[in-house]
Amino acid sequence: MDTMNETIKQAPLLEARNLTKVYEDGVKALDNLDLQVLPGEIYAMLGGNGAGKTTTINIFLDFIQPTSGQAFINGINANEEPLEAKTNIAFVSENVQLYPNFTAIQNVDFFVRLGGRHNYSRSDYETALNRVGLQSQAFDKKLKDFSKGMRQKCGIAIAILKDSPAILLDEPTSGLDPKAGKEFIRLIGELRDEGKGILMSTHDIFRAKEIANHVGILNNGILVAQKTQAELKGVNLETLYVEYMAGYMDEAEPSLVNNLSEA
Amino acid sequence: MTKLLIEKELKNILLSPKFVATFLVCSILILTSVYIGIQEYHNAVTQFEANQQIARQDIEQASNWNRVRNIAHRAPSPMQVFVSGLHFDIGRLSGISDFQDIKLIRSPYSDETLFAIFRFIDFAFIVQVVLSLFAILFTYDAINGERENGTLKLTFANSVSRAQYLISKFVGIWLGLIVPLLIPILIGLLLIMILDVPVSGTEWISIGSFIGLSVLYITFFIGVGILVSSLTRKSSLSFLLLLVIWIGGVLILPRMSIMAAGQLVPVQSVAQLESKQEAFRRARWDQYSSQLSQKWRARSEEMSGMTNEERQAYRDDKEWEWLEEDDAARKQVQIDITDNNRKLIEETDNRKKIQEQLAFNLARISPASSFRLAAMNLAGTDIDMKNRYEESMRAYRDDFVEYTEQKQAESGNQGGFRINVSSDSGVKIDFGRDDQTLDTSGMPQYTAPVVTAGMAVSSSILDFGLMGIFIIIIFGAAFLAFLRYDMR
Repeated sequence: MDTMNETIKQAPLLEARNLTKVYEDGVKALDNLDLQVLPGEIYAMLGGNGAGKTTTINIFLDFIQPTSGQAFINGINANEEPLEAKTNIAFVSENVQLYPNFTAIQNVDFFVRLGGRHNYSRSDYETALNRVGLQSQAFDKKLKDFSKGMRQKCGIAIAILKDSPAILLDEPTSGLDPKAGKEFIRLIGELRDEGKGILMSTHDIFRAKEIANHVGILNNGILVAQKTQAELKGVNLETLYVEYMAGYMDEAEPSLVNNLSEA
Repeated sequence: MTKLLIEKELKNILLSPKFVATFLVCSILILTSVYIGIQEYHNAVTQFEANQQIARQDIEQASNWNRVRNIAHRAPSPMQVFVSGLHFDIGRLSGISDFQDIKLIRSPYSDETLFAIFRFIDFAFIVQVVLSLFAILFTYDAINGERENGTLKLTFANSVSRAQYLISKFVGIWLGLIVPLLIPILIGLLLIMILDVPVSGTEWISIGSFIGLSVLYITFFIGVGILVSSLTRKSSLSFLLLLVIWIGGVLILPRMSIMAAGQLVPVQSVAQLESKQEAFRRARWDQYSSQLSQKWRARSEEMSGMTNEERQAYRDDKEWEWLEEDDAARKQVQIDITDNNRKLIEETDNRKKIQEQLAFNLARISPASSFRLAAMNLAGTDIDMKNRYEESMRAYRDDFVEYTEQKQAESGNQGGFRINVSSDSGVKIDFGRDDQTLDTSGMPQYTAPVVTAGMAVSSSILDFGLMGIFIIIIFGAAFLAFLRYDMR
């Protein structure tokens, strides 16, 4: 029984297998991407604009179809059975907007029920909003008066309440002030500790290093480096990342990439 | 899930500031138009009754039944409160007598030209122009606005199918716009009842059908808004496109189709018709004159070589025959002219009908025209209103003339007058009547032509059907567009 539980626990919540996406204009946004996010793990995808991070997330959400390869959410093919797959995932976008004429509670209520959770009371919503650090005076205020940080908090509260095994975060800390960013990272750390599998795209190398169990660097759709948190301790990720971002390192110097991957 | 999405859509509309503003504007417009329409109706009824009374008194004051002239008035209809149609443009009365043809004259707008400039705002105008614009205002960003907002992505990060989303979107917006609009409409109907407008059962059916038609029309524009919003990425672009579509469909296309029909099927003007009639009349009389001259020449030739006495005897013998012959020829000329006039009028009328039909069919490309035509048919203020009234007035004229002739025969008064000139009393004109007024009891009363509910509905059924087809096409297109919509 223990072995069986162990097996279930170790099945990836999010998995990309040879994921390739070539857009109609011929641009290759993803090239044979392989990655896995296990329960209780945070996987941070690092990369510049156009590296393929958002494309990966969009394929998991079935907003675009992969040219080849598969994306699985909790073992369900995200593009073949998208409705079924999406019951297992929560998503927080880069810039959570929600409905400006709804209050925080009304927005949370709508999106949480849309996520299939109908058994929450107002106090549950309040608890979740408190947990993400939203001031209680803001609960019944319309979203149009909210700052980006406050909206982002609502977004994460929705993800918490949806209580799905996997979470996708698209640049969740971009545009947040340092305090809000730190708060956000603390929260996703808590979610990870609850056993969620989190795939996060980010530019924020410092926070990625701080929180992620795995870091993958994407460049022009290729996963050029993949490291665990433990492995990162011995590597100057910042330098490496900046070099990749600046295009200093490419396929002409595969040894370092291989070294990184194998390290 | 669908229920949740519909609820959200409904709430999103009801909580938006633009809803409060548009709801207030619509309510004020609808209620004001109905209230003013009711006042207009009551004024028209008062004027109608007074005019009828005056017409009757004029008859009673007449010296005798010979050449008595009545006036028939178009009766005001409660339906004009909702759809004034051509009510203000068509003459409201016609003289009724055996010596003049029926012609509706003195339209309300010709009497009060000021109101003709900007025209009367009726309920049909509010639906056709204002509500369709509001439907676009609420739907131009239905899809692309959610994309710009990020809520589309967030919504579809859940197990929501595109079909479910689009149907919910449509139902939610539909309920959010139509149900609140029904409130001022129902208050308007209540006003009709409270302010004593006598609406018959048939008219209630027409009003109900008209409200149904309005709902279909607004539904169409909701569909157009969703379609264009599903075809574009930016709400600013969809708003611009919809505005162009709206201007084209509501304001330009109906007028263009009338102009196109005018070009494709030209119909001669009244002046052209009259000049043709005049030309024929002259030609025919000229022909008659020349034939008469020839005849007289031939008759003279017959008498050549005769002595004066023989000639006189021959003339005396033939005179009656010749007179009859000439008279018959003259009568034939009159008949020919009358026939030709009738033929020319018929030709023009037929051509007009073809032109009308073509114009209407072309105009029906735009649902705004379909709506307007069906609304006027339901209200009985359509293009046939003039014909219906003129026909019923012609029928009434026959009854009236028969009545006056009978009265005339009974009274024995031929309507002459006697002038006595005497050195004692001077000039005295005697109309041969006593001071009694004419007895108008039993005089046939003119009644307006009845448009039954069946007639009204059947004449608008084509436009109802077209509206239904338009809606199905638009929603099919919106559905296909949304299936391919890029959520990112």
